[in-house]
Order: sequence, then C-alpha cells, then structure tokens
Amino acid sequence: MASPVSVYNSNSLDSHISSVSRDSLKMEPLTDVSLLPGEDGVIEKEVIYICPFNGPVKGKVLITNYRLYFRSSDADLMVTLDVPLGAISRVEKMGGASSRGENSYGLDITCKDMRNLRFALKQEGHSRRDIFDLLFRLAFPLSHNLHLFAYVTQEKYEENGWNVYKAMDELRRQGLPNNKWRITFINKSYELCDTYPTVLAVPYKCKEEDLRRVAAFRSRARIPVLSWIHRENQAVIVRCSQPLVGMSGKRNKDDERYLEMIREANDTPKLTIFDARPSVNAVANKATGGGYEGDEYQNAELVFLDIQNIHVMRESLKKLKDIVYPNVEESHWLSSLESTHWLEHIKLVLSGAIQVADKVSTGNSVVVHCSDGWDRTAQLTSLAMLMLDSHYRTLRGFEVLIEKEWISFGHKFASRIGHGDKNHADQDRSPIFVQFIDCVWQMTKQFPTAFEFNERLLLTILDNLYSCRFGTFLYNCESARDQHELRIKTVSLWSLVNSKTDIYLNPFYTPEPNMVLCPVASMRHLELWVSYYIRWNPRIRQQQSPVEQRYKELLALRDEYLKKLEELQLSDSSPAPRVAHNSSTSNTSSSNSSTPSTHCTHLQTPF
Amino acid sequence: MEFSEHIKTANVEDVVLRQPLHPARKGTLCITGHHLLFSDKEDSSRQVLLLLRNIDAVEKSVENLVGYSSLFSFADHGERSGSSGTIIVKCKDLHVLQIDIPGMEQCLNIAHSIETLSNLNCVSEMYPFFYRPPNHSLDRQWGISTPEQFFRETEGLSFLWRLSAVNRDFSICPSYPPLLIVPKDIDDESLKKVSKFRQGGRFPVLCYYHRKNGMVIMRSSQPLIGANKKRCREDECLLQAVIGSSDKGYIIDTRSGQQSQQARMIGGGFEPKSCYSCWKRLHRNVEKGKTLQESFIKLVEACGDESNNMDRWLSKLENSKWLSHVQTALSTAGLVAECVERDGHSVLVHGSEGTDSTLLISTLAQLIMDPSCRSLEGFLCLLEREWVQAGHPFQQRCFHSAYSHARLQQESPVFLLMLDCVWQLWRQFPLALGFSEALLLRLATEAYASNYGTFLCNSELERCALQVKENTYCLFQALLKSVEREIYTNPLYESTDLAIWPSVHPQSLQLWRSFFLRWTPQNRHLEEAQEDIRNMIIEWGKLARR
Repeated sequence: MASPVSVYNSNSLDSHISSVSRDSLKMEPLTDVSLLPGEDGVIEKEVIYICPFNGPVKGKVLITNYRLYFRSSDADLMVTLDVPLGAISRVEKMGGASSRGENSYGLDITCKDMRNLRFALKQEGHSRRDIFDLLFRLAFPLSHNLHLFAYVTQEKYEENGWNVYKAMDELRRQGLPNNKWRITFINKSYELCDTYPTVLAVPYKCKEEDLRRVAAFRSRARIPVLSWIHRENQAVIVRCSQPLVGMSGKRNKDDERYLEMIREANDTPKLTIFDARPSVNAVANKATGGGYEGDEYQNAELVFLDIQNIHVMRESLKKLKDIVYPNVEESHWLSSLESTHWLEHIKLVLSGAIQVADKVSTGNSVVVHCSDGWDRTAQLTSLAMLMLDSHYRTLRGFEVLIEKEWISFGHKFASRIGHGDKNHADQDRSPIFVQFIDCVWQMTKQFPTAFEFNERLLLTILDNLYSCRFGTFLYNCESARDQHELRIKTVSLWSLVNSKTDIYLNPFYTPEPNMVLCPVASMRHLELWVSYYIRWNPRIRQQQSPVEQRYKELLALRDEYLKKLEELQLSDSSPAPRVAHNSSTSNTSSSNSSTPSTHCTHLQTPF
Repeated sequence: MEFSEHIKTANVEDVVLRQPLHPARKGTLCITGHHLLFSDKEDSSRQVLLLLRNIDAVEKSVENLVGYSSLFSFADHGERSGSSGTIIVKCKDLHVLQIDIPGMEQCLNIAHSIETLSNLNCVSEMYPFFYRPPNHSLDRQWGISTPEQFFRETEGLSFLWRLSAVNRDFSICPSYPPLLIVPKDIDDESLKKVSKFRQGGRFPVLCYYHRKNGMVIMRSSQPLIGANKKRCREDECLLQAVIGSSDKGYIIDTRSGQQSQQARMIGGGFEPKSCYSCWKRLHRNVEKGKTLQESFIKLVEACGDESNNMDRWLSKLENSKWLSHVQTALSTAGLVAECVERDGHSVLVHGSEGTDSTLLISTLAQLIMDPSCRSLEGFLCLLEREWVQAGHPFQQRCFHSAYSHARLQQESPVFLLMLDCVWQLWRQFPLALGFSEALLLRLATEAYASNYGTFLCNSELERCALQVKENTYCLFQALLKSVEREIYTNPLYESTDLAIWPSVHPQSLQLWRSFFLRWTPQNRHLEEAQEDIRNMIIEWGKLARR
C-alpha cells in the first residue's frame, strides 16, 4: 500500500520496470528475444535475479554467445536485463551447497560498465555448474581459445564504417603534405614502431635515417609525429613517448635536432613540450630508462601537466562505483564524490588539453607526451584537437578523431579493457578512454550548440567499447589488427552509427567553422556524468524518452526549415543569404564569426 | 525626509568601473536618491544603472601616496592630492562591482551615501513609488489574479467551499488577504474563533483543490495549544469539515517532532491525536529563518572563493547544506503531493507562523500535481496567490542578501529556495514547465530590489495602507507583456496532465549555477547558447506554421 508514511521515493518512472498483466506472463519466455546474426542461444535457466532496486525477482535467464538476457516471469513488475557478455569482467560463485539463508547460492557477476549482477539458483544438484562454466567460457573467449563475437557475427549495414577514416585523406584535409611537413611510409610494415600507424607526418627537412635514430631514443620507438596542424598559423600538435634519458642523463643530438626542426617549421619562438605526468613521476621514470627533456633542448620549454597514471585512474573509478552502485551514497554525497577524486582527474585532463589548445591557437607548436604516449597523450591531443578543429565536432569528424588519435596511434584498448580476457585484476586495465569520453561530455554540456552529436552517441560508444560486437575497439594497435584481419572479418561500430544517424544528432548544433572552444576546467563547472555512471539506478532522474522524442521532432523540424530555406533561396535570384550552408545561424548573429580568425568565446585560466 | 541630505558628493569624474565580464571603463559616477549611475566617458550609451536598493554591502579601501592601503571606518582623513579610493559594491543578486574613485574624500562620501541610501527602510520612499515608465498609466488593475477569480475559475470548488469576507478589514488576520476560501459549513463566527486559536490569526484556508479527486491542500499557522493543552472546538470542526466524508487527512508539520513539542512551551504546538482523531500528523524538518540564511551565506562564500579553486569545492558545497535544504523542501512537497494525488487524502500544511516553509511546500506541491500552474501565467498566478497575497513577509526576508555585514534581523531566503527548487523541477522535466530559467533568475533579482511594487511590504494589509496598488506597477503584469513574454517562455514546453515527481536523491540535484555562478564568463556563454537555442526553436516553429 502506498502509505505516505513510507519514505518518499520517486520511482514512478522506472525505466525498465513496468506493470504488466498477469496473463501476458504465461507465455513461454525468451523465444522472442531478437538475436544478432551469428548469435546462438546456449542455455536457458530459471533463476532469481537479486535486483538491488526491487529485491529478488524470479525469472528466466538466456545466455547466448553474445549476451546475457534476463526477464522476470512471476511478478507484477517487469524486469529485463540485456547485457553483452563483453561487459563482464568477472564471474564468481556465491555461497556454497551448504550456505544458509535465502538466495545465498548462485552467481556474482561484476561488469565493466558500473554495475554488478547477482543471480540465485536452487541449492540442489549443482544447479549452477553448467551456467557458470558456460558463462565463464563465453564471457572470456580469448582465455579459452575461442573467437571474440565480433568475428562470429556478420551484421549488414548500409554503410561500411571502416571507410570513415583514411589516414591520407585526413592529412590532406588538414592541408598536408606542404612545404614544411611530409608524409612518410617508413613504418609501412611496422618496422620502425610496431604500435604506430603506417602513415606518419614528419618535418619536411628530416631524413628517414634521422627518424630511425630518433626512434632509438624514444620509448618503444614512438617518435614525435604530427597529429594536427593549424591552417592559418601552421602551429602543430606533435605526439610521442618519453625520451630514454635514464639515470645517467643520456642525450641524443638527433632527437634534439628533430625537435628543433619541428619548432622551425612555423618559427615558433619556443617549442612547448607538455609532459602529461606529474614531475615526480617523470623523474622516477629515469630509473627505468625513461625521463624527460632537459635543458639541452634549446628553444624549448617543458611543462608538466600533473595527470596521474592509469593505476590511479582505475582506483578512482573503482571508488566512484563504490558510492553509486548498488546504492547511491545519500548522506554525504558531495564529500564522498570529492574523495573519489574522479572529477579532479577530469579537471586536470581538461585543463591540460586547454593549455595545449591555447598554445597552438596562438601560433606556438607543441609536443605532447607522457611515458609511452598512448594514454594521457591520446587524451590531451584528441581533446585539444576537439577544441581547435570544428570538423571533429561533427558526427563523422568525431569518429575520425577516435579512429586517428586513439585507435591508429595504439591506445591499448585490448589491455585497458581486457576484451574476452578472464584476468579481471590485470594491472593494465584502466578507464582512460571512458575518462576521455567524460571530458567530451563535459564539453558538450558547456557548449550545447557546438557539437553535432548528442549524449546518446557517447553512451553508444562506451557500451560498445566493451560489447565485442564490433571490431572498432579490439586489439592494441594497427599491426595486431592487420595480423588478425580485423577490418575484413569484423564490422565497424561506425557502420551501425552512420546507418541511422538521426538518433545521434543534436538538433541545436550550429556549425561555426572557425570557433575555438575554451571550456572551463574549474571544479565549479564540472558535473558528474550521472546519466552514465548512475544510469542503472531507476530512482535517479535520467534523460527521459519524452525529451528524446521531442528532440527528434525538433531535428525533423530543423531539416524541414533548412529545406524550405533552400527553396526560398532557389526561387529568389538575389544573392543568397548567409544562412545557406550554416544551419540556423540567421538568429545567432552574436556568435556569427565577424572575424574570420579564431575566436574565443571566453578565456579563463584553468587553475 | 530628503535624499539629498545623504548625498554629499553627487558626481565624480574619472572613476574606473570594474565588473565581471566587462573590461574596465572610465567615466562619471553619479549618485541619486535611488540609483547609482555610471556613464562611460567614450561611449555614453554604455551606462550602468544600479538600484541602490540592490546593494547589499559596500566595502571601501583608501590608498594614499605612500602606497599602503587600509580600511577606514570613518572619514577623518582629509583629501590629499594623489590619494584615491576603491569601493567594492556587492549586490543582492550576487553581482560584484569595483569602483576606483580619485580623491579620498569623494570616495568616502560616495561610500557613505550608498550605505545610507541602500539601507533606508521606509517603503513609501522606495523606488517603485517613483518608477514611471513612459506610455503607461497607473489606472489599471494591479495584479493578475484575485481570490474571487481563483474561486470562480476552479471548477468544482463551489460545492463544498465558499469565499469568506470575514477578514475584509484585516481585523481577523493582519497577514491574510480580505477574501479566503473555507469549508461551506463553517460560518464566519466560527472562523473568528478559530483565528484566535491559530498563531497570527492564520486559520486553515484552502490553497489548492485537486480536480481529479476533490482533495485539497489547506494551510495555516500552528495551533495555540500551549503547555496546558488548550482546545478549540471550532478549529476541530473546521478540519473535520475539510475531511468530509473521507476517512482521514494528513497534517504535514514543517517542523521536527521535537521542535513542535518545544513550541508548546511558548504557547504554540501541534494538533494532538486525541482531538483530531481523523488527522495523521507527519513531521518534516524544513529549515527556514536564520539557519537558511546562514546556509545561503556559506554557499555564496564558497562560490566566490577564488583562492582555492580546485581544493575542496564539493566539500564546501556540501557544508553549506543548501542542497540538502533543496532536497528536504522537494521531498516534503513530494510527500504532500503523494498524499493528495496517490493516496487520495486532503492535507493541511503548517509550521509555526505559516508564512515561510508552509508557503514553500504548498507552492511546490501544486507545481508537482497541477498542470495549470506550470504555464507561465499559471506559475505567476501561483506566486501571487501563495506568496504575495498569502503574506510572505518579503520586506523582512529580503532586506539583505548574502553579502551584508549588518546584523541579521528577519532575513531568510525562503523565496529564493523555492525558486531553486522550481529550477530543479525545470531541469528534471525540461518539457513540463512553460516558463524559462530566465524567469526564475529575474524573480530572484526582483524579490530583493525592484522597480515594481509586487514584492514591497509584508502583507496585503501593509500594501493597502501604503496604497502600493495605486502607486506602483505590478511586476507580474509587466512580465506577461508581449515584448518580455517571449524571453520568459520555455520553447520546449509541452503541457502534460501527469504529476511531475521529482527525484530527490542528492545525485539528481544540482547547484543552480546560473544563479549562484551567474557572473562568471562560463555562465554568460551558456546563457547565450540557451538564447540561440530558443531562437532556433521559435524560428523553426514559425516556418512550420506557415
């Protein structure tokens, strides 16, 4: 009975729970689940889902080679779960044959996407053995010499997402090669650096043998190469790994000359080297042969950005999970959130990227590295590029940015996520990419009209970071992808996205080609991304379907508006109004770039 | 009284004005009876006109040639050549301006004038009595709704309820309006007796009628039970009449159980079960008064603290407790709505005086349940009914804001807390409310300092005595005028008949940045983006209708 004496709660809009009449529950369950091509049901079992929000729920679970699907069967409330097995990081037995207490015998499943699932089974005849063994094999196929699901399924889409990114096309879009920068194929068979892509942009003046000598002085041969060039001022973002300075303070003339060539390319007075690490960590790295650029690099300044390493980030997110799942911290929410330091790390990554973008937009070339140049470096360069280049703020541009700075430059997705791998405690795992997407979300909040895509896209990307349904985030680097014929044998996530773009679009997107975004990285303006981190809790308000529906209508309205505008222009012989290629700027004169050069909406020191 | 007495220096040349979001400007500063006026030297169109009433605190520092700066509390230093001073003006809407003034004496004079004039508390001398916009005359109706209109327009109300004029000369209850809605069966004689049994005469009156099931929200002040458990048969009858044929009702006491116990020691109290057997009493501790004001001050302090931007911001935010006040208010309002809408029972809301938390809760509960008060007009009518006519003492509560150094008297940001809660609803239900965030921001400013008479005085009685309605303009009417109206509407609005149940978990609540961090560049940018979005939607809509 809904007595108001009970603590007031607001679960009236539970997203995945709705009342259904008892009759409809009689049907034989789980035959109607729509499966993907190549997906096969393996086992169906009666279980009790121990729902942290509604208590134990009886139902049936279906396990396929792709997903775990659960549907309640015996209550007035409808609970469904649809979890790709790729999202599972750990499967454990809970209780034993002799455990006492109700629902104490079963399975405890830890997921990579901020939730845990617990199922109770009948405490007789080893009822959980088959389901446990199956789940363990199917969730961790690589640990059992099985294929990842992306290699099994054969989904068909209108568009082939693998064509979204072509390194040469992207460099050409940036205006490369030019008289200062050339394209080299020195790494075409991954001989120079096995974690880099095959196509690299390097200073025009630098010879191939110089590159080899520089490679010898950079950790894992990840030499400084161009990521992005500013069309007007020719300042560049160059990425690499740390120099192998070591305890003895080794120097390498070729490396020093190479950085000088980068500086000279657009006559930057002083090349800024952004070392993403805290300075103590950079010093400590000398002990293992690494280090940072010292005074021998003339005309260069070194700035440490104080971003912590993958282990700190992993622990921080773990702490965050502790306070949001299964129960949200109620009494001291904000100080608990503060003690996870998650937002503080977000702030440091964002403010690092802001500093990079600021240098480049004022005409100064920069070099960005951390230790190996595949985690923090990727975060910094891609976020800075998102601020500097409006192309990356379109749906397709964003896909290119991820393909380029993350996938092709060897962010170790396989190690960081642990696709199909049972070693849940592997120290190589870390939510670096999640953190990047969080930073992007913070930017979309601060600039609601600057991004063509919406939150739904970011959520889809993160869901498929784990799902193993698409090849996009598999393996650590291009050489491994080639070896496993990834682009031939699997489907790209962008095939799915680009085949039905309308649900991922922001109706209020206003293209402003020359605008540099300067987000604020102050703690006061950062927010926890509740609709991602706490999305499993039905009591926390989330983006609701009426809003999504309304946005979809608005998108249609906008398209109709643009079409009519075009018609009006065709019938009108007078010079076309400036709205022609710029959807809806007719009423945003304030932000219309009256100055063709870069334009900062606002600047705030990020400290 | 003459304003000129307080103005020793009316004009100063060559002052420098520094304010957030703008470059420093040089110009002339002018002090009048109600305004601080700054006109730019180079571009006279760029003026800053600030109501002195909006100024919460003035901090002055004077610097002489030697180069040390110090704080002077009195003006015993004569003017020396080359000396200068700086005045920092902190406004009630959290805007902070800095004015550099050449000449120490001028600076001290200006500071003194601002301090004195901004603290004058004589209502009839206030600016709304002098504000005369061109092309408007004062002969129109003041306000946008009356109790008669509300009674007439609320369908189904007249069967069991009546409009009583028992308070026509404010003799029964000085803080109530002349007309009130009460159960049909209760005559005016009984009401007079009931009013003697309720603090400040605020006997239970109807403030909301739920059309779906005929249940109501009543509000009042606390019963004067006292230590020796006084009773009032008429009061019991009145509440029994509210329940009618239903089996029970709920009393939501906005104080903790302990607080309402203690209230008996000073003559107040709560409805005992023995005398009000059909009423179930629930206590919720909704803070108001000093506690709330202190919370507000702490929050504003944390928001303005530039020194340790990164350190402990979230802890400071938590320690201010502002968001937990928001949470309590919303969840108590949700409880009231749950009683009425889900449980199907009538509710009486009261605390002690019934002029603060009571109004906060009844307002929010109505917004949650009633689609008709979610439109722009409906919301303004709700505010007029539940805050202006119902006697929220605006004059006392909004005399100072978060910056004032003066000793606190009766200040408390209850109205602001209400606006914050409405903003949370607005954020959680982007389509359900017909008004925009700009409206909430405007109201937050106007409550503290205004050209309009709407928020003057503490009650209808005082407004009558000072002829506020005859001599000032009404803010709500102005807001509904076509030019301004568009800014204050929500272009995404789609009316829904459903209740909008807010999520009150701390994870679902956010700091109202656009108010508390209003004067930061980031917020300015977001405001512009919101404006762009509004214009887009309107533009697309126009074309679709063509």
